[in-house]
Amino acid sequence: MSDYQVINSRLPRLDAPAKATGRAVFIDDMSFPGMLHAALLQSPLPHAHIVRIDTSKAERLPGVKAVITAKDAGLVRYGVSPARYDETVFCHDRVRYVGDEIAAVAAVDAETAEEAVGLIQVDYEELPAVLTIEAAMAEGAPQLHVEFPRNLSAEVHQEFGNAADALKASDLVKTTTFKNKRQDGAFLEPPGCIAVFDLDGRLTLHSSTQAPHYVQRTVAMVLGLPVGKVRVVKPYVGGGFGIKAAANTGELAACLLARKTGKPVKFNYSREQVFMLCRARHQFVHRMTTGVKKDGTLLALQHECYLDGGAYSSFGIATVYYAGSLLGGPYKLPNMKYDGWRVYTNKPTCGAQRGHGGVAARAAWEQQLDMIAEELGMDPIDLRLKNMMQAGDVTCNDLNMSSLGMRECIEAVRNSSDWASKKGRLPKGKGIGMACGFFVSGAGYPIYRSDTYHCTATVKLAEDGGTVQVYSASAEIGQGSDTAFGMIAAETLGVPLDSVRVMSGDTDFGVDLGAYSSRQTLMTGHAVKEAAEAAKRQVLDALAEELKVPAADMDIREGRIVFKNGPVDFSGIRNRYIKEHRGWSDSPQEDFLTFREASRIAYLAKGTIVGTGKYKPPLLGGKFKGAAVGTSPAYGCSAQVVEVDVDLETGRIVIEKMTDAHDCGRAINRTSVEAQMEGSLAMGMGEALFEEVKFDDRGRVINCDLAEYKLVTALDMPPVEAIIVESDEPNGPFGAKEVGEGAIMPTIPAILNAVYDATGLRIHELPLTSERVQAALKAARAKK
Amino acid sequence: MILPKFEFHEPTSISDACELMARHRGEARLLAGGTDLLVNMKKKVLNPKRLVSLGRIPELTQVERSNGTLWIGAGATVSAIAASAMVARDASALGLGARALGTPLIRNLATIGGNIGSARPAADLPPALIVYGAVLVLRSVAGERRLPIGEFFKGPGLTAAHEDELIAAVVIQVPAGYAGAGYLNLGVRKAQDCNIVNVASYLELDGRAEVIRAARVALGSVGPTPLRSPSAEAVLIGQKPTEALFDLAADAAQRDCMPILDFRGSAEYRRDMVGVLARRTLTMALAEARSRN
Ligand SMILES: Cc1cc2nc3c(=O)[nH]c(=O)nc-3n(C[C@H](O)[C@H](O)[C@H](O)COP(=O)(O)OP(=O)(O)OC[C@H]3O[C@@H](n4cnc5c(N)ncnc54)[C@H](O)[C@@H]3O)c2cc1C
Repeated sequence: MSDYQVINSRLPRLDAPAKATGRAVFIDDMSFPGMLHAALLQSPLPHAHIVRIDTSKAERLPGVKAVITAKDAGLVRYGVSPARYDETVFCHDRVRYVGDEIAAVAAVDAETAEEAVGLIQVDYEELPAVLTIEAAMAEGAPQLHVEFPRNLSAEVHQEFGNAADALKASDLVKTTTFKNKRQDGAFLEPPGCIAVFDLDGRLTLHSSTQAPHYVQRTVAMVLGLPVGKVRVVKPYVGGGFGIKAAANTGELAACLLARKTGKPVKFNYSREQVFMLCRARHQFVHRMTTGVKKDGTLLALQHECYLDGGAYSSFGIATVYYAGSLLGGPYKLPNMKYDGWRVYTNKPTCGAQRGHGGVAARAAWEQQLDMIAEELGMDPIDLRLKNMMQAGDVTCNDLNMSSLGMRECIEAVRNSSDWASKKGRLPKGKGIGMACGFFVSGAGYPIYRSDTYHCTATVKLAEDGGTVQVYSASAEIGQGSDTAFGMIAAETLGVPLDSVRVMSGDTDFGVDLGAYSSRQTLMTGHAVKEAAEAAKRQVLDALAEELKVPAADMDIREGRIVFKNGPVDFSGIRNRYIKEHRGWSDSPQEDFLTFREASRIAYLAKGTIVGTGKYKPPLLGGKFKGAAVGTSPAYGCSAQVVEVDVDLETGRIVIEKMTDAHDCGRAINRTSVEAQMEGSLAMGMGEALFEEVKFDDRGRVINCDLAEYKLVTALDMPPVEAIIVESDEPNGPFGAKEVGEGAIMPTIPAILNAVYDATGLRIHELPLTSERVQAALKAARAKK
Repeated sequence: MILPKFEFHEPTSISDACELMARHRGEARLLAGGTDLLVNMKKKVLNPKRLVSLGRIPELTQVERSNGTLWIGAGATVSAIAASAMVARDASALGLGARALGTPLIRNLATIGGNIGSARPAADLPPALIVYGAVLVLRSVAGERRLPIGEFFKGPGLTAAHEDELIAAVVIQVPAGYAGAGYLNLGVRKAQDCNIVNVASYLELDGRAEVIRAARVALGSVGPTPLRSPSAEAVLIGQKPTEALFDLAADAAQRDCMPILDFRGSAEYRRDMVGVLARRTLTMALAEARSRN
């Protein structure tokens, strides 16, 4: 058992009662007096010149309070990476996808706003559209952005070592091409927001976001407001998965409309609009060539990747880098060459989604490794173990595996799944497969170039004593970060969790880059821990003066003051405390000095006790172009075994069991870690088997609802055995690192490898729908 | 998506409902569970001025058996049908269809009348009803008429019901001894799917001699309406049930279907799956027929 008092346990989440009873307030539950409702006019065409916009009819509709277009919004360019600010709030000369925003209306209710949008007349001159990577890259293809020729939103060319020479020296060289499909984030709660200007011209934006800080900066930049006049507050959020990690048009339009009307303005994305907003996983095409020695030693990977980016860049530059850099580990790979192209197409914009950039690449490669193992006559687990890095190893692209419980993860899933008695021994139609993966535990650098701290935190002790208030601008979006930070603060201060109140998601509480790149537990965790340590020090210092005991001889544990060198007479403090609380029924009776008394004494001595903390990673990574993407203070890693049953006639895959082990460094809350693992597996399984955003030949999403966009249902989800591995990360608070995204990495390839074991078929395109599998089975039968 | 505005009527008897439908002929639509209709109204596919709710008509929800017939009120919910022991015993394939439909939330609202009335080619209940030879009891101010369900479907969303007519009940002749049926549906995932293919089969054996006396095979999602497969039935009737015979019937069923390609699946896959599901449901039907003696 651990000697922690709070962390590493299974304490219930702080938000559980509010969510279980329906009291948790989400943006849709909120309203303000006089609030208006906004609606967006979005392009019906994939590519067109805007000839004329006439808003006069809409403006005349009773109940309409404002109609805005690019004329009002201006043409400030924004986006995610400053190097690719390629969006404006509204299109003024050209629309680039079905859904591109042209105007917004604020009206007394949502129905009126929608009706007014229908009254705005836009004359378009339609342009030829490019809807696929091939079409966009073809000679003479229509161009989306004049400033980015050949429809290239970003390209990457990197080489570490010498891949060509290493391939020549290899005994076995394998090349495969792999394709996934565009995903939708499919969070339960579509984004939404309410913008409120106060009478001093200060803006508060309440928004369902995972990155209040980035939204604050973008809103300030686009509206031309000082950052200090913009406050972003996040209520409860129903999931984000990466899509809510940047400002969206709805937020900007609501702010502009609120400024124009002087009234609070609400905007909610509908489910259909979520598919048009997209910003989710790209479609990737990976071509990989791997060279190994006869004994299975990996020598080189030569890798080309094309990304269907959609109309704008969003997180795309980072995505195209991640798609290459995240193959640097967890295997020792001395030579790696990567060429990546992110291509603009006339479709909704793709961005970052759980496992940013690395998921399809990992799937392609881990399936290829299995093919190599088979040709070498090796067990796929042995091939992986043979090449596995160890803690302290650095990848060829300069990623430092400061802790790496990869071997422990593999052994855990091998034993728990009974791999040895199943692999190669199951009847036809049944199969078992495994894969590994790793992921960053927080991006090493912010999205914009800056020396900023990545997070700050404040711990304040209530003046009356006993309650610890934790403030940060981090984003609880359902993943449990508030609970984790409450537990870190409680552990650090030496108090029980129910003495802690956590307040977060408000830019007034500090700087926090937000919930993306699996960064908060490690980074915000550090800041909270530092803040709690500072508060604790002040309490002990005050006690030291009061009791004339050196602070170093005291500690706080489980809400009590521990005197390391034997009993100390604290009756003076107790009497004072009780006298100050005459008439109160809860006077301290314990035979020890309580934290409540101690923190009160500290306040009496020094005023409000406030501890602050901050964190930013040290300088990380190499010197080459793009070296920043993929760097992290730590890396989480995982291994999975999947067991499948394939119906050889219908092609239907049923996943029967998943065994997953993840190295999260140290589990702050064990239940939350397992929940992240299970959620990752469900998402990976959906991408592997069912999910695909489909378009018609006019660039419209066909399946823009959750009936036709097929997520995994509760019935599809197999039993999951989630095994936590703890490697005690030296760069993490209490040794903790990520679990939120890394756990998705092995899921798809483990399924692919299990399907091969069941059918003898290698399928290199997702999703593995019954139809795709049956077609492959049929083709294989025809060949025989 | 916002639901458009409409007038709402809540009659408490079938005859009042018929009155309202006659009075507002052309502008009113029947509302049962609303799980199909309200979705289409939100999508602006349908825009009726009035909705006549069937939700407060107790006589529509009866499920009972008398004199060898099973009477299922059109307002019976899919969850009630899925949970009914009577249905499980006397019309097991219908029970399987009910259990395959949507999710628990949808099943609690959705009705059998709505499932038939919406006339979706991929609906889960019609194939079983067709192979059981179900008859629809239709009511209007003009009175009552009975129509075999096979004559009811005219195309996607189109039926033989008059504008002011409602389905009051579905009547099934309880299969005799040595008769059985099976139903299977195939979608993308395990629940809440639009079927890619769904098939029901029914076999009636000539007692212990085991010659197939009657056979009916119905194919869903592979035509503008659920389809009977006359060729498969012809292959089966008068023969002894064997695996080889079922293979022949499955091939025949594939010839009778007319699948289209859409974003949910290719025509080729649908045709292949008609064969697989026909064979499997015939096997189910045979097993049940043998057990009912
Ligand atoms: C999420 C979801 C999942 C679904 N999954 C499935 C599925 O797996 N399988 C499936 O088959 N369906 C499915 N459906 C469709 C729908 O739920 C079913 O068709 C259901 O049976 C419709 O019944 P209802 O009572 O809700 O009909 P309503 O929506 O009330 O009505 C549907 C149509 O039938 C007409 N109607 C209703 N009652 C009568 C009557 N007594 N006489 C004449 N006409 C009538 C209405 O006027 C309307 O045109 C799904 C729907 C949703 C929203």
